[in-house]
Amino acid sequence: MAEKESREIATKEKQQLTKPQEQTRPGRYYVPDVNIYEFDDSLKLWADMPGVKEKDVNVTLKDGVLTIVGQVATDMYAGLRPMYTEYNVGNYYREFSLNEDIDDSNIKATLRNGVLELELPKKEQARPRRIEVRSA
Amino acid sequence: MAFLRIDSDVDPFGTLLSLQEELERFMRNPAFAMGPSGFGAYPPVNIFDSPEGALVVAEAPGLDAAKLRVTGTGRTLTISGERVFKPDGNGLGYHRRELSEGKFSRSIQLPEDYEPANAEARYEAGLLIIRVPRGEHAKPRQITVQTA
Repeated sequence: MAEKESREIATKEKQQLTKPQEQTRPGRYYVPDVNIYEFDDSLKLWADMPGVKEKDVNVTLKDGVLTIVGQVATDMYAGLRPMYTEYNVGNYYREFSLNEDIDDSNIKATLRNGVLELELPKKEQARPRRIEVRSA
Repeated sequence: MAFLRIDSDVDPFGTLLSLQEELERFMRNPAFAMGPSGFGAYPPVNIFDSPEGALVVAEAPGLDAAKLRVTGTGRTLTISGERVFKPDGNGLGYHRRELSEGKFSRSIQLPEDYEPANAEARYEAGLLIIRVPRGEHAKPRQITVQTA
């Protein structure tokens, strides 16, 4: 019997976007899974977008709402006939309203192995500052 | 059996939708000879047929490519690996933590016509794409007709 692994990865069913939304192109959208971590000087976000290429990602921040969109590439499926399927492919869409004041001119986005990584630097005034306590 | 028609010249806007509908149809009606379903195992896979062989496409974003293993024996293709999420720096905490983490190992049985031992794999945009060629015995062969 195989050794029991300490931690095994679980499969989550993809969540289809249900919010009514006008799209110019027909097709289903999925909600990407994300991690959002906070640091002293920034927020960092990672979003799973398998099948999306760098040129097909769109990130916008407007009025405190961060929107991430990924268009999935379908060219690789040309001429193929499905035999067995466990998941559907689709574009990705998710919105977040940010409480923190983000310096929107310095947002960095990279796509690595199907994961979008966003670095959202906080504006200077939104960073935690150590207050010196003076003795009387 | 319908073929996927994904030709951007003919169908510029319906491309994704027609692919989605075709995949959806096969989720309920897998083709014959695929063996028991492994639905729910990680990573999820779609398997396609083409004149050259089978194409296995697994959705597995964020993997460490160095720990990714693909092996083929007989009719079976086995994929294993690990996803580790460790951001740099000292965080103050997290707001969302939804990404899956951990190890996985999964075997997929293909119909007899294919040769997993001669498969080729690549990891691209979070997709593990494995081409499994058709075995020599499954390829059409011209039979010479001899005359007396």
